[in-house]
Formats: sequence, structure tokens, C-alpha cells
Amino acid sequence: MEPKTAPEKFIVPIGPQHPALKEPGHFEFTVEGEVVTNATARLGFVHRGMEKGAENRTWIQDLYLMERVCGICSHVHALAFALGVEKLAGVQAPPRAQAIRELVSELERIHSHLLWLGVAAHEGGFDTLFMFSWRDRETVMDLLETISGNRVNYSANVLGGVKIDINEKQADAIRKGMDFLEERTQHYLKVVTEDETFLGRTRNIGVMSFEQADFLGAIGPTGRASGVKRDVRIDSPYTAYNDFPVKLITHTHGDLEARFIVRIQELYESYRLVRELVDKMPAGELTVKVPRRIPEGEVISRVEAPRGELLYFLKSNGSDKPERVKVRTPSLCNWSSVLVTAVGHNLADMPMILAGIDPCFSCNDRIVTVNRKTDSTQMDWEDLRQYGIEYYK
Amino acid sequence: MNITFPPLVALLLFPGGAFLLFSGLVFEYIDRKLVARFQNRYGPRWFQPLADVVKLLAKEEIIPTGVVKGLFVALPVIALTAALTSALYVPLFGFKPAFSFQGDLIVTLYLLSMMTLCIGLAGANTEDRFSLIGATRALTQLFSYEAPFLLALLGPAIALRTWNIGEINAGAGTSLWFIVAQPIGFVVALVGLMGKLELPPFDAPEAETEIVAGAFTEYSGRGFAIFKIGRDVELVIGLTLVASFYLGGFTSPLDFLWKTLLLLLVTAALQSLFARLRIDQTVGMWWRIGVLMVLLQLVVIIVGQQLAPVIQPAIQSLFGG
Repeated sequence: MEPKTAPEKFIVPIGPQHPALKEPGHFEFTVEGEVVTNATARLGFVHRGMEKGAENRTWIQDLYLMERVCGICSHVHALAFALGVEKLAGVQAPPRAQAIRELVSELERIHSHLLWLGVAAHEGGFDTLFMFSWRDRETVMDLLETISGNRVNYSANVLGGVKIDINEKQADAIRKGMDFLEERTQHYLKVVTEDETFLGRTRNIGVMSFEQADFLGAIGPTGRASGVKRDVRIDSPYTAYNDFPVKLITHTHGDLEARFIVRIQELYESYRLVRELVDKMPAGELTVKVPRRIPEGEVISRVEAPRGELLYFLKSNGSDKPERVKVRTPSLCNWSSVLVTAVGHNLADMPMILAGIDPCFSCNDRIVTVNRKTDSTQMDWEDLRQYGIEYYK
Repeated sequence: MNITFPPLVALLLFPGGAFLLFSGLVFEYIDRKLVARFQNRYGPRWFQPLADVVKLLAKEEIIPTGVVKGLFVALPVIALTAALTSALYVPLFGFKPAFSFQGDLIVTLYLLSMMTLCIGLAGANTEDRFSLIGATRALTQLFSYEAPFLLALLGPAIALRTWNIGEINAGAGTSLWFIVAQPIGFVVALVGLMGKLELPPFDAPEAETEIVAGAFTEYSGRGFAIFKIGRDVELVIGLTLVASFYLGGFTSPLDFLWKTLLLLLVTAALQSLFARLRIDQTVGMWWRIGVLMVLLQLVVIIVGQQLAPVIQPAIQSLFGG
């Protein structure tokens, strides 16, 4: 760490290696005493070249690659990809497969929101809530393992359907798990809205008005906590969300407390949806046949990840490999909201404000070159590699 | 138990010195285990604090550039020394203090504050930004809890008309326990002790999610180990002080054990109940609530003492006693 140079600018760096952030991102907070006066972010420490990698693999192989974009919301990535490919190929997965896709999506949302609840509490120094919510999260992790065999990359999707089915025994386990989690979540909602010390850290902290959220393009629960009525599950229903609709949860305050409340209420909505899906699961086939070579064309596929809208752009040239796969992950849209809301708060609030958007770093690192007309350059693979080595030096 | 030990033995072996160091580690283990169980975790094994210390002592001590080397090495030692010295004036394990004189209560409290001062200096000594902020917070916190903590311990002292810890310990057992007579003082003293030891929710000076390890960020190896032991020793002495003042004093080691462990149980529960307070919330809480409540109680005690000679005969004559 270099010694500070200008005495009037005291910059506190957080990351890329810092106990508050388990993923690599770099933030610089300029502080005066304890108050933050400026905030900047630098991302791009874990660029993995997956979009490029996808171009060298077949559509089927890419499904498994895309599932590994994110370790928390793995299912929605595979789902967005599969939905896009099916649209290109002009096929539609059978109803039972769609329902199972939605079921796994919602179970994943439950696990992601519970994980976030723990992380956010830990950032605020409330380790007891952290330990308790992660203990309860094991319930849903076990359920996911029961139905798919995996805890993280469930690999439920195949192109044209799903590869897992739900039997009566598993359905019973899911029902029992939902009952347990609902009871626990009621307790957490009480803690989050009534505990005095916790409210001292969340109420009126990191307030983002509706205008700001709208202007900055905040999405997902972060935007919904500021009253942005946007949810892909409702705006353009995919899989079985037409038959099993979800209720839009919004809040008006836009502070950290609102983000807690919105996510916890979304948990209730997910419990209800999971029960309904298990009870009224349509019968039928699990897959339809998808051709090996996907017809030429372009498609945009949108799904609602736990963190917000996840967008896939797929371009096919008619071969068995995609020409272009572009992933826009939800965390990317919410970064600017952190930098804006951070100013004026205490340094102590920074970790919670950062965690408040439920950030996910590894999925949103891209290399972007702005190609102005005057300085057009071409880079081949070796140049890019060298550029990367220089950049991270 | 009125056994006194030769000064050198008391200082180096028992009850101060080596024995105190080990009991500090034991208390740390109990504290960690209790918090872990409250949080539904397993917690460390019984030798974990000792293993930590041994590991740290065996490791290289890195002295960062830009620090005053002498100060960097000396500060942990001074902190531990002050904590160990203060042990001589308190009735550790129920034995009579090795030394005592009128006013040793004040000396002990100042020796206990040395730890925080050393932490503050240690943080300010380095160029690390996390350390600097940690140091600022540690010293800010010192100014917020120190006065209420002192006033809370003065309550029993004024009531018993002695500023000698040994005499207060003996006197506390003869009358009504001060936890009943002065409940506000007890609460403030216990919470003040948690602030002193920077336990959650008062761990803003070393909040890991904000400033890594606060003032300790640049410390490694031996220096860090000594600071750690020093804090464990302070935990024992702090609990001893609060228990002997408010829980009726000690007359035997068994007495000491159950009373301090009871207090430790309460502090562990408090540690796991709350979210971390921001430093401005800590200061606000102490000066707006803590100080006022303790001052109120002190006024009540002093007024009560002044009025007692007047009222008592009146009551006695009323009931014909």
C-alpha cells in the first residue's frame, strides 16, 4: 500500500482483497473523517472469456458452460440460454418441463435471497443472523440436491426441456421444506423490521429515490425497493409464469431496510409459488427434440434472475456453434446506484450499501473496447492475452 | 480467603503472571464457545486460543515501512504489562489483592485503559489507512465509555466509603448485593466493559468488513499475539472487577468462578444479540444515555447517604425500634 500523498484526500480502498468482499472488485472511498465524499469502482478482475469460449463450443456444450457463469444463480443462466436456443430453433419445451424450470428457478431464488440475507447481515456486523439464515438455507440446498443431485450447478436444463422429474416423495420433501422456511422467514422479517440496532444500520441508509433508480436503470429487488415496477416474470412471462403468475413486490422507501423487506417478501412469494407448482404440476413429456444445427438468426432472451433481469443475446449462423453469445448480468446495472447512494454516508455503512444490491462480480466482468472511427484497431487472440497480462500487472 | 503471596510470586506465577495468562486463554475459549453456541455454530476446541497464540508467536513478525520501529515493538508489551500490573490490585480468584492502598481503584482503571491507548498509538504509528481509521475509532470509543464505566464502578465505592478494591470486595459481600441496590450501575459497568474490550456490538474499531482489523491490521506474529493475550487478561480482570463490585464480592476461588462465568455468559449473549453499532451511534448512546443514567444514580446514592443519618432515627422511632 502506497503512503497517502495529498493530505486532504484520504482514500480508503476496499478490495480486490478485503474481508468485506469475497469476490474481487475494487472500490475507493474518499472520506472526510468518517463521512464518504466520493466513491469510485473498478471492475474486471475476474474476466474469464466465457463469451468468447462459447463461440468455440457447440450449442449443447455451451449450455453447461453458461451454467457456470454464476455460482449462485446457475440455473437462470442455463435457462436463459436454453430459452433463446429453443426460440431460434422454433421449438417449445413441454408444459411439465416449463413448470419444473420455474420450480427450480424459484428454489434457486430462495437460496440466493437467504444467502444474501446472511451476507448483508454479516456486513453490518450481525453475525447471528448470518449464521441462522445460512443454516436455514441448507434446507433449500438439500431440496435442490434431492431433485437434481447437485447443490450448485443443478444442470436441470437440456435444450428442449429438462432432465429431471419430480416424484411424489420429492414433492413432499419440498412441501415440508417450504413450511419450515416460511416459519423461519417470518422470524427474519420480524428481526429486520423490529430490531433496534439493526434498524439503526438500515433505516434511511443508502436511500435511492424512484427518480434516481429509474435514471440509473436499477433493476431487480434493488430497483423494486425504490418503487421501480419491473420484473421480467410479470412483464414478459417465460416458462410457466403465465400459468403460475407471481405477484410484484415493491417498496417505496428505497433505503436498505426496503431492500431487506422486498427480498424477504419475495421469499414468501417464492414459497407460495413452489407449493402451487408442486401441487399442480402438469403431466406430460419432459423434452422435445432440438436440432443439432440451429437455424440462422438472432434472439434476445430475458429471464428474471434473483438479482434482476438477465439478458442473453444469441446469434446463430446456421452451424452447430453460436456465432455470438452476449450475456448482460443484473449486477452490472446496479453498480452505479452504489456509487451514487454512497456519498454522504459513513464509512461504516459502505459494506452494507455495497451488499445491498446483492452484488455478483464474476459474472459481470467484460472486456469492452470503444471503437471510435479514428483509432480503429484489430486485436487477435495473442494481442488480447498480452493486453490482459499488462492490464493486471 | 485472606492468603497473601510474596510479591514476586504474585507477580510472576500466582495469581498474577503465568496463571493469569492461561486463565485469560481459558476465558477467551469460553467466550468464543458460548457465542458460537448462541449462533448455532460448533465453536472452537478447548485448546484453540492457546494454539492461536503459539502459532502467532512462532511466526515472523513483519515490521512495515514507515513506522517507528521501537514503538511498534514496544506497544504490545506495554499494553500487556499494564494489564498484568492491574491484576495486582484486584481480588483475582478470590484471593486478597497482592497490593492495595486507598485509591487503587483509580490506578487499576487507568492501567486497564493503557490497552486502548496502546492500540490507538499502534494504529496511528503505521501508515496503513485501515489502521489509522481503526485508531481514531478506538480512541473515540475510549472517550465515550471510559467516563460512564468509571462512574459505574464509583457507585459501590461511594456507597462503601472506600476507594480500595480489596475493601470494596470485602464490603460488597456484607450488605445487599449492589446488583440489586444499584442496577443501573451494574448494566453500565458490564456494557462499558464490553466497549472496553471492543466486543460486538462495540467492535467498530476493528470492524472486519469495513477496516479489516482496525489498528491491528499491520500487526503480525509476536506483536499481535501479545496484544491478543493482553486483551484476554483484561477480560479476566474486567469481569473480576464488575463481579466483585456488583455480585457481592469473592471469598473463595469457587465464588470467583461462578460469578465471573455468569457474567461471561451474559456478555456472550449480548454479543450475539445485536448488529454492530456505528462509531457515532456508540458515542451517542454512551453520552446521551449511559452517562446520564449513571450520574442520576450517583446523585441518588450521595443524597441517600447524606439523608440516612436523618431518616434512620426517624424510621426507628416510628416503629419503636
